[in-house]
Amino acid sequence: MRSMTETTRPRGTHHADHPASGPPTGSSPRVRRRPRWRAVQAFKGAALTFPFLAGFGLFVLVPVVMALKESVFATKSAGGLGFGEQTVAFVGLDNFVEGLGDQVFWAGMLRVFLYALVVVPSTQLLSLACALLLDAARRRTAARLRVVLLLPYMVPGVVATMVWLFQYSPVVGPLSAFFRLFGLDLNFYSGELVWFSIGNMALWGALGFNMLILYGALQSVPHEIFEAARLDGAGELRIALAIKVPFVRSSLVLTSLLSIIGTLQLFDQTLLFRAVTPETITKDFTPAMMIYNQAFQVGNLNYATALSVILAAVVGVASAFVYRFTNREEA
Amino acid sequence: MRMNHTRWAASAAVAATAVSLAACSGGTPAAEPEEEGPVTIEVWGWNAETGEQIAEAFNAAQDEVKVEYVLQASNVATQTNFRNVFEAGEEVPCLVPGIVPLTTLVVNGWAQDITDVVTPSESLYHEGALAAAQIDGRYYGLPSGSDGQFLIYNTKTFEKAGLEVPTTWEEYVETGRELKKDGVDIANLAGEDPSTLINLAQQAGAEWFAIDGDQWVVNFLDEGTLKAADVMQQLVDDDLVSNETYQDKPALYAYFDSGNMASTTTQWWSLTGYQTDMKKSAGDWAATAIPQFEGAAEPVTPGRAAPAFVPVGCEHPEAVMKYTDWQTTAEGIEAGRNPETGAIAFPNQIADPSEYAADVVPEGFFTDDAAAVDAIVEAQEHVIGKFETGPNFDAWFPELQDQWGKAVAGEQTFEDALANVQDFVAKDLDAKGISYTLGS
Repeated sequence: MRSMTETTRPRGTHHADHPASGPPTGSSPRVRRRPRWRAVQAFKGAALTFPFLAGFGLFVLVPVVMALKESVFATKSAGGLGFGEQTVAFVGLDNFVEGLGDQVFWAGMLRVFLYALVVVPSTQLLSLACALLLDAARRRTAARLRVVLLLPYMVPGVVATMVWLFQYSPVVGPLSAFFRLFGLDLNFYSGELVWFSIGNMALWGALGFNMLILYGALQSVPHEIFEAARLDGAGELRIALAIKVPFVRSSLVLTSLLSIIGTLQLFDQTLLFRAVTPETITKDFTPAMMIYNQAFQVGNLNYATALSVILAAVVGVASAFVYRFTNREEA
Repeated sequence: MRMNHTRWAASAAVAATAVSLAACSGGTPAAEPEEEGPVTIEVWGWNAETGEQIAEAFNAAQDEVKVEYVLQASNVATQTNFRNVFEAGEEVPCLVPGIVPLTTLVVNGWAQDITDVVTPSESLYHEGALAAAQIDGRYYGLPSGSDGQFLIYNTKTFEKAGLEVPTTWEEYVETGRELKKDGVDIANLAGEDPSTLINLAQQAGAEWFAIDGDQWVVNFLDEGTLKAADVMQQLVDDDLVSNETYQDKPALYAYFDSGNMASTTTQWWSLTGYQTDMKKSAGDWAATAIPQFEGAAEPVTPGRAAPAFVPVGCEHPEAVMKYTDWQTTAEGIEAGRNPETGAIAFPNQIADPSEYAADVVPEGFFTDDAAAVDAIVEAQEHVIGKFETGPNFDAWFPELQDQWGKAVAGEQTFEDALANVQDFVAKDLDAKGISYTLGS
């Protein structure tokens, strides 16, 4: 009977028992429907992300899980000449322990880290300078230059490397001949200059893309601020440094992060330059080259995936560090 | 679940198609043992010029085997595609060109033992081609010719220096010292390519990997290898060679063409490229036998092959052998003539390919074409063919490249480089659980 009493209880009485639980009596039916409507609306909104999530899951999460699985196993022959079946054994974290203590791997990591210390800031500074110059130009001129500066980014990395290999050629390339005019005998293939050769090529390839992102960010800066600054007597350089640069800081963080990620994964340029200076660029020269060598030449896929996970962790930590460092003031 | 008539019909058609396709494929058992018509085999290759026409000529010449030629983009693409079909357990082709060294094929479980079908055809092939197809006396590959190495030299450069062409490697080094006085390099050693060292080691009788019962004997420091390393060391120590990279082809050919490089070891298929890219010095070159090591019992020519193979899963190795044997006949060799250039692929797998040697000598490159033909024939006659690269070639070759690069740059000796490679091999075999013992 009690339940009957409750179900027949006037709605007003119910709400009177819980004064803080909702709006006045008359709006009760709407209160019940709104969450459902919102949930449907939220679901519809979220549904727009499903294609991305499906791709992300299939091509990122699934491979990551597969890589993690591979990295805790080891594949070996059961003795003999290696012609028979191979056995796969669970080895726990052995591959990770070996990777963390692998001097060749960490020497490669140190190499790309030092390289990144030079290349990433150089790329950002030059991209920013180009974006500011473009922003100062007339819109029509800027539109034309924008496309031209973006062209190197459209060239695939391997093709770009081949193009630059010929540019750098000490015999038939134009650069060595050009510098000889000034009495400089530069061999861009040599072990001493190969870092410069690769860095210059990377900068050439990344400049246009970074510049475009920064230029886009500059377009969103309210022009009233520039007028106010000019009224206060600020010159163009002052406006650029004191107004424009702070406004594009978040874009600079983005391009820097992308540059760091790309640089730590240095692979195709060094792989192709290996032929011209093999005494300097060895098969394990960068972490990505070592992973490739372990996976596809040595044939140790288990160890290669463990190294890949370690490299991903290092890239993640480096990116997080840069992100926190560059956003400290805003935080 | 019930199926309507249309679905039944469709399913039956699919099943019939599947059965007929299976009968056509190499890797699936035939539907009926008493099959009528020719056995169909799928042959992979990246020979875009004549691969298809050779298969068609074979199909027209007989009616027992039908070859379906599947053109691949390249060696690398063939490797990738073969790995995919093999790992996926799909129908494998019946004939794949040598995408990796023979022992690697067997370690990977790809190549089947075809001793029974090769043995009856042995008389058709050069002994080097037969040797290259065997591991421990069993055929895992099809007899595959090796390109015998010979020496080409710039006659004007030698005449200018008043020097004779060396016939031994010891003389070669001495000649290099004389040429250096005029600022001429006797050869080019590309820093990324240790094949010259492998060739010389093979010629000097080195055996880096040998099978001893159930284990490998690894020896990168045997007498033959050290002989080869010593020649290399003298050439580098006395600065008698250049180090132009193959990656920069225009610069490489400009240097070859300049008269500042006196000689290079080579093989028949490089000659057309030389003729095309060395316009200035074309007509100045002569070919002769590759230098020998002093005291060699008989002349031997370095040359290695990566034999074609019949994948595990193909049920018609005898049909593959029939196709391979046919390519040793005059009709089969002629079928490979390029209709545009008129060139043939030199049949280096047959016992006596001498009548075809003139076809691969480009016009206008040599001072004496007949002597060039003799050099090519002699190189093929004495080619060794077999050089065992062990169960982990893919792993140690990049290490050899690293070590070679440092030795060529003078950062370490060649003997140290080889010792480092041997250490690497030992560690890699340990990691792979493969039994071995070190020969030195």
